[in-house]
Amino acid sequence: MNESLRTPAPEADEAAMLLAELDRQMIRAERALERNTLIDVDNLEVRYGSNVVLRDVTFDVPANQITAFIGPSGCGKSTALRCFNRMNDEIRGFSMNGRIQLGGQDIYDPRVDVTELRRQVGMVFQHPNPFPMSIHENIALAVREHNPRISRDELDGVVEQALVHANLWDEVKDDLKRSALALSGGQQQRLCIARALAVRPTVIMLDEPCASLDPISTARIEELLLELVADYTIIIVTHNLAQARRISDDVAFFLMGRLLEFGDARRVFEDPLRRETADYVRGAYG
Amino acid sequence: MRVSPIKGHARLSRWIGPASAWIAAAVVAAVCFFIVGHIVREGYAHVDWKFLTTDPDPSPAESTGGGVRIPIVGTTFLVLLSTLLTFPIALGAAVYLAEYMDERWAVTKAIRLGLEVLAGVPSVVFGMFGVAMFSHGVFTFMSSSGAEGSDVAFGRSFLVAATVMAIHVLPFVIKVMEEAIRSVPLSYRQGAAALGVTKWRAIRRIVLPAAAPGIATGVILGMGLAAGDTAIVWLTLGGTMNMAVDNWWALDQIVNVLRGTGSTLTTFIYFSSPAGEGNAPELAYGGAMVLILLVITLNAAATLIGRARRQTR
Repeated sequence: MNESLRTPAPEADEAAMLLAELDRQMIRAERALERNTLIDVDNLEVRYGSNVVLRDVTFDVPANQITAFIGPSGCGKSTALRCFNRMNDEIRGFSMNGRIQLGGQDIYDPRVDVTELRRQVGMVFQHPNPFPMSIHENIALAVREHNPRISRDELDGVVEQALVHANLWDEVKDDLKRSALALSGGQQQRLCIARALAVRPTVIMLDEPCASLDPISTARIEELLLELVADYTIIIVTHNLAQARRISDDVAFFLMGRLLEFGDARRVFEDPLRRETADYVRGAYG
Repeated sequence: MRVSPIKGHARLSRWIGPASAWIAAAVVAAVCFFIVGHIVREGYAHVDWKFLTTDPDPSPAESTGGGVRIPIVGTTFLVLLSTLLTFPIALGAAVYLAEYMDERWAVTKAIRLGLEVLAGVPSVVFGMFGVAMFSHGVFTFMSSSGAEGSDVAFGRSFLVAATVMAIHVLPFVIKVMEEAIRSVPLSYRQGAAALGVTKWRAIRRIVLPAAAPGIATGVILGMGLAAGDTAIVWLTLGGTMNMAVDNWWALDQIVNVLRGTGSTLTTFIYFSSPAGEGNAPELAYGGAMVLILLVITLNAAATLIGRARRQTR
């Protein structure tokens, strides 16, 4: 057979690839519309130095849902989370490929104001980390950063509202001047949530927020998240499968730097597509 | 199951470490208490209100005359001035080293090497350097001019001494402050960054307040070093027991005082003691006791500040 007929010209090859890519993007866009996608992760790859910690990760986080990241330690779920507010930028040797869009905007675009991104994408850490200052000031600090001209009264209002939303107001309202470090662990964690809420984010990310809390405090945080999801998009990294099952709408299962399974929480837990997911979910490892 | 008893040599080796540490600590404490005790015993009788409130009277015959009023004032002036110069530079350098510098940069290595060398230079070298440097005509504003009509500065004054002293204590103060800033938990910085708080504001509003006790310790360490140094004072404050200006307390004399010579407790001791240039050991002991009390007070203040800060957290 004639070779020249078999092999298309390079230009045609490129055009075909472009078309295929366009097609793929169209499908994603349609799906995003349908699912009310807020965060769209496309072909994410993350390296620390020469070490690939995430590869080939593609999924989407719908708005006003709780999406849980599960998987054994070191699977890359926290790294994925920290890509969304660019906290990884600070880590030496970090580099990434692929694209993450928040509300259609590429968050790794060089024109993006990282400070503003982090206001929009709040984060709560594994260990409560209130600042060594008063409860009031813990919340006021970041509010003033983003709204330097706010009046005293307005600020007090924002602080109160944030504490109310975080279900902490009734416990601390009489003594907002008290040091935040004097609060209990569960209270501190709710203060950290309040602090994130006060700057009016769209997304709240929580990296194992209950890992150092007792069961009662954990239950209170879970209740709180189920209330907050009406107004915010929530992403939670958790080791606690029961917790993911209780509160999440979608679940992403990571293993060794890959996203092995993603979908509706009930489906992932009860009828996983992959063997590894099934084994992890029934507690065979991790 | 029976737990076997510990063998003889194992028992001994278990004791050697703690015992030698204890002995070393005891030796240090004993030496320290001996020196302080000796000075207090020799100086106690001479320290009274009159001693504290009269000026030195450096006549060789009258070895029992005079007190330490001017030296106390001089020490205070010198310590305050050098702290004023040291504090902003040390804090800025410490923030830069702890928060912004990359250890791999050549400039970081150069700064670290510079600080280490600076810390290793004996203060007498700084003193010599200070006189040589500040005798230059352009520095006439810092000390009275030399001889009539010459374009050389005298090179000895409170301003010169405080500047040289600041250079001398800077590496130590920077080190303490940098450690204090570094010891602030990373989680505060991360928490602030995750809220979209800029790094500079996080440093100013969270990191520095949290590091305040350590920073205060650095300031007080610098004060103690400045109060205790002799060579720099001896060379750059003028070899005198009194001040160039008689009515140094007058506000309109402040420039003349700062540009003039003076003395501190350390030079008072040096010029009184037979071990130095004087002939009045009891005065030297008295001055030493006052100086030691001053330094102990400074250290106690540092401890108290640290404790008070911890309690408010």
